[in-house]
Amino acid sequence: MRHSVLGRLNEVWRTSTFRLSLLYGALFTVGAVALLAMVYVRSAVYLTHRVDDILAAQAAAEMHEPQDRLKPTLDEALAINGRNSVFALFAADRTRETGNLRTLPHGLEPGGRPVEMSATPDFPAASRLIAKRLSSGEILVVGRDINQLREIRRIIASALIWSGVFIILAGLAGGAAFSLGPIRRLRELQAAGHDIAAGDLKRRMPTSNHGDELDMFAGTVNYMLGEVERLMSEVKTSSETIAHDLRTPLTRARAQLHRLEQSPQVSPDEIARVTAELDEVLERFIAILRISELETRARSAGFAPVQLDRIVSQVGELYQPLAEEADLRFQVVAPASPPVEADGKLLVEALSNLVDNAIKFTPAGGAVRLALETGPAGPRIVVQDNGPGVPQGERTAVLQRFYRAERDRLTPGSGLGLSIVAAIVRLHRFRLELQDADPGLRVVIDCHADPITG
Amino acid sequence: MNASVVPGATQDERATRILVIEDDLETAEEIAACLTASGFEAAKCFDGAEGLKTAMSQPFDAITLDRMLPGLDGLEVVRALREAGSEAPVLMVSALSDVDDRVDGLRAGGDDYLIKPFAPKELVARLEVLLRRHRRQQGSGDGAVETRLQVADLELDLVKREAYRAGRTIELLPMEFQLLEFMMRNAGQLLTRRMIFETVWEYYFDPGTNLINVHVGKLRRKIDLPGLTSLIRTERGQGYMLHAP
Repeated sequence: MRHSVLGRLNEVWRTSTFRLSLLYGALFTVGAVALLAMVYVRSAVYLTHRVDDILAAQAAAEMHEPQDRLKPTLDEALAINGRNSVFALFAADRTRETGNLRTLPHGLEPGGRPVEMSATPDFPAASRLIAKRLSSGEILVVGRDINQLREIRRIIASALIWSGVFIILAGLAGGAAFSLGPIRRLRELQAAGHDIAAGDLKRRMPTSNHGDELDMFAGTVNYMLGEVERLMSEVKTSSETIAHDLRTPLTRARAQLHRLEQSPQVSPDEIARVTAELDEVLERFIAILRISELETRARSAGFAPVQLDRIVSQVGELYQPLAEEADLRFQVVAPASPPVEADGKLLVEALSNLVDNAIKFTPAGGAVRLALETGPAGPRIVVQDNGPGVPQGERTAVLQRFYRAERDRLTPGSGLGLSIVAAIVRLHRFRLELQDADPGLRVVIDCHADPITG
Repeated sequence: MNASVVPGATQDERATRILVIEDDLETAEEIAACLTASGFEAAKCFDGAEGLKTAMSQPFDAITLDRMLPGLDGLEVVRALREAGSEAPVLMVSALSDVDDRVDGLRAGGDDYLIKPFAPKELVARLEVLLRRHRRQQGSGDGAVETRLQVADLELDLVKREAYRAGRTIELLPMEFQLLEFMMRNAGQLLTRRMIFETVWEYYFDPGTNLINVHVGKLRRKIDLPGLTSLIRTERGQGYMLHAP
């Protein structure tokens, strides 16, 4: 138990809320003590000064009395004020002549600073005294009861100490109390974290509705978890897709090899067929590697200002002969446009894939258009054909990692061209959209980088 | 294959020696076999340190170097070779196909960059092109700048940027001119589609089989005019070769 109490205290001590409360309490204590100390010093000094002024005025009044009237005046004053004032007269040799003070207290010098004296048999209270030498050589002592003054000082001092103690204790207790909430929240976050680490990727960090820093943090972590979950499921589906896609040609190649093994003579054509199957597998592997490379690449690695019109016309020139041979009308529109931060070689690769696809899937006599246009948010590149297009339901799927569209399964090539395009577009933080050209497919790349979201 | 393209025969009696540095035994064996079949003499090393030692201690005409090797990696090997003053052409072989990786390889001192998986024929073709270029560079030490290329009755004026076949001018687009120049410089040499795409267009992705075929086909229609012997030959499934009949 002791251990867990210590552990608990240790936990409280380590929370930033507690430490902040403590720091705040310490600063507050220092401030309060300084304030009270100032009140104390000021009031004590003020009260003492007032006593001293009164004493000086009384002494002056007595000193102005004629020599022969002095003693009766003093006696009279004693009779009226003897309980809270001291009046005494000493001869030059310091023997008492009259008054409620038996001897001249030690340290009290005529004309010197006031002196404080505790209670004596003659005067039952603490007093503050001054002494004046008269012209006759006698010493006049005037004093006042300062019990009240001392009492006030004591009250202020004790207020000071108690309030200091209270502030410190309240600070500690408040800090500890405030820390308990965050500690409970942290416990919940930890528990969620353990669950997630154990593989429950559906779990999210609990959030309260305070919108405080823990909530902000939990929100960020939850966003991250969402991305991780999405990527994990994508990796899973893409591994399944890859496995499925590779199994078909590999199984075919294996069957053919098996047949060749059995047959007495082997024709080069048969070997060429097996090689073609394996080439297809290799080609798909190269494409998969390429996509992975693109996905792990740092965004701005090879980025520089790129003239999109030049990219578009280069791709146009590159594919013009292919389109001619396929008996397609190939229109390239590339008006001058402001430069865009991009990797030119990758954009050429992406556009080549798109134009290659468009040419491949458009029947003879059709048309393919490659155009640089000005969209609402900036330049965009459009590749449009009037071939069979991609069914609505498949349009988002073809942009996923390693997804091979149904139509690609029947044509040679890796079938991963659009996945490569999607990876390049993602790397640029551009936007890729597949639209219905009715008939045909219209692919739009919005060439302005989206800010990072989330 | 035409006897004149076996590089070993064009120099002295000694066969052209190639060092194959490749950690996968099967691949190394395959490359070496293909090199031997093409008239080269091949030596094999299976890791970077051994490869570097061998390359430094014996003369080789060219080296094929896997980029990812146990111990000393390919980039370090080629860097060390260049620092030691070796000028032998180095063909880097790598599974990393990104342009940045290519740039790293070439910057370290590699002369060409071949991406795995590859057909052994492609590797041999690239080595032959490298050897040719290397010899041409060493041979042109006399300061003479080439201004004309000629293969049979096909002529290329590199100054006026004009082409002639049997004395008649042929109209060529700039890209076609570059393609023809590359093919004529490597006359008698198998050139794969990928080599053509990388050298002439300077793009390093896979353009698909058809694209280069169509470009070469278009050039061929301009060069191999009716009634004249065909100079551009298609090597099925491999690439193209421009050669004197």
